[in-house]
Amino acid sequence: MVDHQFRVAAYVVTWVIQLGYLGWLGLKWRAVKRRAGRGNPR
Amino acid sequence: MKQIAIAVYAGVVAALMVWGFYEAIYVAPTDAMQGDIFRIIYYHVPSFAAAFTFFSISFLGSIGFLSFRHSHPEWAQIADAWALAGAEVGVVFCTVGLTTGPLWGRRAWGIWWTWDARLTTTLVLWLIYVSYLLLRRFAAGAQVQTLAAVLGIFGALDVPIVYMANRWWRTQHPAPVFGGSEGSGMARSMVIPLLWNMAAWLAWGVLILGLRFMVERRKQRNDDADAMEALESPV
Repeated sequence: MVDHQFRVAAYVVTWVIQLGYLGWLGLKWRAVKRRAGRGNPR
Repeated sequence: MKQIAIAVYAGVVAALMVWGFYEAIYVAPTDAMQGDIFRIIYYHVPSFAAAFTFFSISFLGSIGFLSFRHSHPEWAQIADAWALAGAEVGVVFCTVGLTTGPLWGRRAWGIWWTWDARLTTTLVLWLIYVSYLLLRRFAAGAQVQTLAAVLGIFGALDVPIVYMANRWWRTQHPAPVFGGSEGSGMARSMVIPLLWNMAAWLAWGVLILGLRFMVERRKQRNDDADAMEALESPV
């Protein structure tokens, strides 16, 4: 039972880190895109 | 067209992730010695395999930047974007490995952490690349990319040391399962789920690596445009 909880914790932590990074990447992408649209004609 | 290709690839990655999870939980047998906790291997080992792959990409990108920075500045910028993307995605995977490892260790060894050669060199690897990212984030000036490239190259030299650590020294961490001494290895019924998860996590890593590269290239173009604008604007 405890093994099961540790395994679940490991899988959850993995997904939290990976999806957290993907979310941060999305915010960064939006920021650079907005800056491109606002600042320069390219 | 590019967006469709990314969407199709993301679909393939999602399918691989689902299949990898299914293999890890429902297909792979429970380990006779460790029980259910052993299933952490299906996320832990692929995470480090991916981390080493992406640190290697950072290493190649850093060499490319240093090689081309005078002769082909545009190529150097592309190489630098790969170096940064590789380092960042590598840190993400290394962080996963360094958090899933202690969860496994606590149940298998009774301790969260020990300063053996494998764990210590891995932590040093993580610290080097975190310092690489902090350097890129907070330092300013024309030399930042060059300094980062040098750090990226030296950081990558730790990768083979981490890999060989449990071959060269006696460690708490288990001896290598693959390519180890005689008698090492895994049952086929466990290797296949591991390979599926390896493929899935590498595919996921390639996806986020590509996205990170695109973000950095866009940022570089923004910076170039800002610099041109500043030069052209009347004083």
